Amino acid sequence: MKTIWRREWRAYFLTPVGYVFIGVFLAVSSVLFFLEILAPRSGDLPTFYGSMSYLWMLLSPILTMRLLAEERQKRTDQLLLTSPVSLPAIVLGKYLAAVSVLLLTASLTLVYVLVVAMYGTVYPAELAVNLLGFVLQGCAFAAMDLFLSGCASTPVIAAVLSFGANFLLWMLDLLENAVGAEWVARILRFLSLYRRNETFLMGQLSFAGILYEVSFAGCFLALTIYLLHRRRIA
Amino acid sequence: MSGMKDTQPALALERVTKRYGAVTALREVSFSIPAGQTVGLLGRNGAGKTTALNLMTGYFPPTEGVVRVAGQDLAEEPRACKRRIGFLPDRPPLYDEMTVAEYLRFVCDLREVAPRARAAHVEEILEKCGLTEVRERLLGQLSRGYRQRAGIAQALCGSPDILMLDEPTVGLDPRQTVEMRTLIRQLGRERTVIFSSHLLSEVQELCARVLILQEGRLAGDVSLEAGGEAGRRLRLTVAEGSPRVLSALRQVPGVARAERQRGTETGEAELLLEIAGDRADREIRDQVFRTLAALDVPIRAMGEEREGLEALFLRLTADEEG
Repeated sequence: MKTIWRREWRAYFLTPVGYVFIGVFLAVSSVLFFLEILAPRSGDLPTFYGSMSYLWMLLSPILTMRLLAEERQKRTDQLLLTSPVSLPAIVLGKYLAAVSVLLLTASLTLVYVLVVAMYGTVYPAELAVNLLGFVLQGCAFAAMDLFLSGCASTPVIAAVLSFGANFLLWMLDLLENAVGAEWVARILRFLSLYRRNETFLMGQLSFAGILYEVSFAGCFLALTIYLLHRRRIA
Repeated sequence: MSGMKDTQPALALERVTKRYGAVTALREVSFSIPAGQTVGLLGRNGAGKTTALNLMTGYFPPTEGVVRVAGQDLAEEPRACKRRIGFLPDRPPLYDEMTVAEYLRFVCDLREVAPRARAAHVEEILEKCGLTEVRERLLGQLSRGYRQRAGIAQALCGSPDILMLDEPTVGLDPRQTVEMRTLIRQLGRERTVIFSSHLLSEVQELCARVLILQEGRLAGDVSLEAGGEAGRRLRLTVAEGSPRVLSALRQVPGVARAERQRGTETGEAELLLEIAGDRADREIRDQVFRTLAALDVPIRAMGEEREGLEALFLRLTADEEG
């Protein structure tokens, strides 16, 4: 697993993918920082992190699209699958590489926190919970998008599938308001990743929220392993 | 090389079938390959060569049957078995963004080479495959010949006992082809090598044995060790080609098949006898002479001929309806 992780981590920075991901994230988040913090002279970091969490929806596909689809397209999966490495180790190694880039990106947002701290007040406990929710949401998206990369035959198809799925999750919130039946709305509210993040943004450490996001990621990782296993025996 | 028990074949397929949905790519194929042998896998396009190699390397499991590597079931002991196998697929599995040396280090880690031994192992492989001068070049920038060598180099990481190469010389220029064959010959001296090819001359040059696949079935398992020829036959011209003569000839030990080829105007008949296994020709010729003498059928001519691999291949892979 460590070998796979190390290769993928290096691949992010040997190809433009890692730089594009971090660069676009920082560019867009800087604009958000200007709009939500600098321009109104606000110190409202939770709102800022709430807005930034939507960036995962847009950018997570870039991070995950080639992880499995490119292996399949270029048939490098033959090397991995004929080596003495297990499927879970392959999937986890790749996932952790994506999560590492995600964590590096999230840690760069501390620069914004530093700016706020210089001119206002930062509540460390609240910030920690905000950050946790922010990172967990990114990890959940990365797991779902990794699964979709496993479903796709090329990285471009993987990216399109992931964008679609991420948007659908976002639209669950809109649907929830639109549907009349309360029980349907309840289910949608339960499934919504964005809604789960709200408690973290309010500074509340929600174990239900943590459990949901971790289970969400875990389910998709298990599905990815199952998918690769099924494809081998098909 | 890890110690392989001599009693166990390096690789064995036991009634292996592979189906892709409704399509059967391999049907009940069985064979075993002793350690140290170089075996060629021949067959027309779509005959099942690549499927067979993919099954033997554990890329995917068979639908039915068992693949054994040094006696161990590949499905039950995948890690132990995969450690013994190096595989070059028809398209080398290279990561274009890595340098040659970096890539080989990665494959060594995948194949569980001890970290302390890794540097020396990579150097040895670079040297053996003639990649030393391009070690710091990106794989994506290498020529086809070097990419193929890098493909072989990755298959050597971890010093596997068994090397499987899927059409290793396809797309190489004549010089590169010769170099690649030399490399395969060298590797075959210390390992079991199984490779598929479309080039009969290449197989004849490098292999001790040929497995011929036709429509997913094992159509032929031929030893090439006796002078590099596939089948031995006796061609006879006799005064009489009646069924009694043919049935008497079929009784001769070492004659696998006897058939009448054609009659001549003078009433003579031309017969073809296929010689089985490793029987000495002279012994059989003497026996044929005695048999025909007993029947009072004069022999007008008798000559030995060898069926080349090409003729054998064409015969075994001829369309069934043809």
